[in-house]
Amino acid sequence: MTILHAAESLRAGRVSSVELTTSAIARLDRHNHLRAFITVTAGQALHQARVADRELASGTDRGPLHGIPIALKDLFATKGVRTTAGSKIYENFIPEIDATVVAKLHAAGAVMLGKLNMHELAYGITSANPHFGPVRNPWNPQHSPGGSSGGSGAAVAAGIVYMAMGTDTGGSIRIPAAFCGTVGLKPTYGRVSRYGVLPLGFSLDHAGPLARSVRDAAIVLNAIAGHDSRDPSSSRRPVVDYVPGEACSIRGLRIGFPENFFFEWLDPDVESSVRGAIARAESLGAHITPVRLPDVAALNAVARMILLAEAAAGVEPHHADRALFGPDVLTLLDQGRLVPATDYINAQRLRRKMRREFDQLWNHVDCLVAPTTPNAAPRIGDTTVRLGGRDEDVRLATTRLVRGINALGYPALSMPCGLSGAGLPIGLQIVAPAFDEALLLRVGAALEDAGVGIPPCPLE
Amino acid sequence: MRDWKRIAEAHGLFLTARELDRIVPPLNALEETFRPLIASLTPDLEPDVVFLGEDFE
Repeated sequence: MTILHAAESLRAGRVSSVELTTSAIARLDRHNHLRAFITVTAGQALHQARVADRELASGTDRGPLHGIPIALKDLFATKGVRTTAGSKIYENFIPEIDATVVAKLHAAGAVMLGKLNMHELAYGITSANPHFGPVRNPWNPQHSPGGSSGGSGAAVAAGIVYMAMGTDTGGSIRIPAAFCGTVGLKPTYGRVSRYGVLPLGFSLDHAGPLARSVRDAAIVLNAIAGHDSRDPSSSRRPVVDYVPGEACSIRGLRIGFPENFFFEWLDPDVESSVRGAIARAESLGAHITPVRLPDVAALNAVARMILLAEAAAGVEPHHADRALFGPDVLTLLDQGRLVPATDYINAQRLRRKMRREFDQLWNHVDCLVAPTTPNAAPRIGDTTVRLGGRDEDVRLATTRLVRGINALGYPALSMPCGLSGAGLPIGLQIVAPAFDEALLLRVGAALEDAGVGIPPCPLE
Repeated sequence: MRDWKRIAEAHGLFLTARELDRIVPPLNALEETFRPLIASLTPDLEPDVVFLGEDFE
């Protein structure tokens, strides 16, 4: 059931928020082995659900999220509720504020079920957290859910919550969305406030939802988008209604098909599923337009350089205590400390130059389509993945089609488009010009309406 | 290639051989892609040191 369906059922009196929340708590208990949650706030959630039921009964309707059980990646500050960032540094940190996104979700009447497990400090893509345990993929618990928002992907795919908030610095919403078979939306940089979100890469971090459908992701964006004076990167550009209409069309839309980079070194199952979704778009009247992109490998290198430096800077006060960190995160922090200031500044100059080059693309196409990841979810503990006859570092492979988009700031959506031979989800990535989330979501919804997607996760 | 061990020590970071083995290959690989890009920069290009949402507007 989606947020839209649950919201209809709530208003028709077929179900109550308390019933939805009780059911979510029971499902969470049943699937605790997934380690999707770090902190469960069941008591608070049931209280919020009772309030939502009373409000709806008395005619106070806060919109489609009112009374809907959701959860938050554990780096969104929650007033009075522990916020660990999946790290030993913050294992006992209890914020005195709510992040802006959290406050907006409260105002929309959402019911907060708890705080979700994640890759330590959001700095990685496996969510094999050394302090809170590895998150497991609901489609196959031997496999990774991706990361860093792995708990968010797992909780949504397992049917525990209707939506979970994640963050994306180098793919951390889109990767778990692809691996867990959910929709994941990374809005434009500056569209959603980062205030109260523990930073990883100050100039690369984005907050956005993982949800069961494209329209559900749009409903969440409606609730959380907008200017926030407490976030210096926040845009003043007005928000619009992001929810696509019931009969949305992509006829005549110019959908860019990258001729270079994005379709190289792919798992064959990924390639065939993504090409199948593109063929579906064409059958709906979209013009599939081949495009040659600027150097994406160079863009990825620039994004990595920036992230190494920014992440190391953020953690600098704690770096001397090496026992605080898991080995993979410590390795990245060590690398970041060796990046000279000149390289960081030149990476930011290159980023500006590359964004100008990539912006030219939008003169020729309305959006781009590509795989989200070159592979389906690897097994937990795998360090390499074999693609196109060569072994590739699993972290570099998993981020190679998503990382550069963070440096450009463009909005991007991952939606399920098929299953691998092993029965694991595959993600389709759609990228749009800055602040054109409405277009991005319209394309996604049109494809979803046309049958692009996967069956629900078979977890009982 | 850069002498990462000496650079680390200059930063007060005394890494074991095993730790160095983990950081040197990725840094060298990044260097290989990143360093040649610098040559394309022109003096008029300002850094996005503070990357604001308004940059798009």
